[in-house]
Amino acid sequence: MRKGGIHLLLGGSGTGKSTLLRMIGGLQQPDSGVVSVAGQRLSGLRERELGEIRKGIGMLFQNGALLDSMTVLENVGLPLREHTNQEADEIAERVSRVLTAVGLEDVEPLLPRELSGGMLRRVAFARAIVMEPEILLCDEPFSGLDPLNVTRIEELLVRLNRELGLTVVITSHHMATSLRMSDQMILLRDQNCVAGTAEELAGGEDQDVIEFLGEDGAAYLARLHELQDVGPADGAHA
Amino acid sequence: MTDSLRRLGATTTDLVEGLGRVAVFGGAIVGSMFRGPTRFGFFVRALYDAGVLSVALIALSGFTVGMVLGLQLFNVLTRFGADEGLGAVVGLALIRELGPVVCGLLVTGRAGSAVTAEIGTMKATEQLDGLRMMAIDPIHFVAMPRALALTVAMPLLNAIFIVFAIAGAFAIGVANQGLDAGVYQSGLENAVQFRQDVAQSLLKSLVFGMLIGLVATWKGHACDPDAEGVARATTSTVVTASVVILLSDYVITALWGV
Repeated sequence: MRKGGIHLLLGGSGTGKSTLLRMIGGLQQPDSGVVSVAGQRLSGLRERELGEIRKGIGMLFQNGALLDSMTVLENVGLPLREHTNQEADEIAERVSRVLTAVGLEDVEPLLPRELSGGMLRRVAFARAIVMEPEILLCDEPFSGLDPLNVTRIEELLVRLNRELGLTVVITSHHMATSLRMSDQMILLRDQNCVAGTAEELAGGEDQDVIEFLGEDGAAYLARLHELQDVGPADGAHA
Repeated sequence: MTDSLRRLGATTTDLVEGLGRVAVFGGAIVGSMFRGPTRFGFFVRALYDAGVLSVALIALSGFTVGMVLGLQLFNVLTRFGADEGLGAVVGLALIRELGPVVCGLLVTGRAGSAVTAEIGTMKATEQLDGLRMMAIDPIHFVAMPRALALTVAMPLLNAIFIVFAIAGAFAIGVANQGLDAGVYQSGLENAVQFRQDVAQSLLKSLVFGMLIGLVATWKGHACDPDAEGVARATTSTVVTASVVILLSDYVITALWGV
């Protein structure tokens, strides 16, 4: 995966999208093969060494993974409190700014159980980006969000990607949104994967890709294909 | 025959491997105590959960156990014309044996299981992985304060249990059975020695607290990350910690004479 790109992981349930994200984060080890992040092989590293690498990685978990016993302010501010020398008021200010960026205001004193599903995911998203990581791993970032907030998160991701060079890896079933923002699509299958840009895959004839994308994604890609007049996918590779 | 030997070997290897993992986990908890930040706030909160919230149960149980013990012993001692020894026997039995053991079993059921359930739920909802992804060690952040709180809470709860149990026995022996209050008190004071009995009792309960803390946090960390796994781990904590308390009680008694 290219540094500074937005990579979309596709695949049916159980093909290993979330597992692959966890491997990139060093939470799971591969049975075979090697995972390298920023040129550093993760296998064989101690937890403390992995921790140093993880300081540059933000991860949005499927269910948010917010700490139940902590308020929104404490949850989002936790990485800042742990890894920076910022004072409490500086942390509160930074947390407030990030929460505003994800469309949340005045939720700092609330506990996770007091939030709706969509709010919870946005708080988790805020926590994932509060340290301005170099790599952001997002497991279904758009699920449970209303269209307005899908657009808000999409714009925020694209802005972070363009302005700060954030590398984003996403798993999502929100086809049109994911395809619109992604630089590279990777379709995971049982034994292999198909990878390429949206344009390349739009011009390809891989039935798995076409079937997986469904009407929503296929229509988007067809429109993209017509607009850009893209030929057969030379660059697509497995 | 070969299959049986193979199974025995596999079981033994699993057992040794499991004990090794627990030992490494325990070592990591101890190591994290000397690493910053101190997590004092989390420790105080865990101490409140494990200690303060257990006081009512411990006090009530202590008083009840004391009442039963007082009644039983009074009847038995009366048979031998030794009812004046009630204070001494009750005091020694409670301080040296019943206090730490019964209190340990109660704390396991009340606080140890809660710690396992909490950590197990955190694991099932990926909160522990979330901490790891923020480069925060879950052992340092979650397990250490709770294990330490259980270790510190146990001697304090043991002391409360013993005080209430002695009061319960006093209530039965003196108020109910008519034993002289001064006889009960002087028997207790003469028989119990601080260094040999009280201090050793507190030390014993400290060891039990460490064991409960280790078992409870380990079971939470090692459970399967789903509702069934958390339920199994919680049950397993109660069973394992109870057995460990009873076994270590014998070992401590045999080695230290307490």
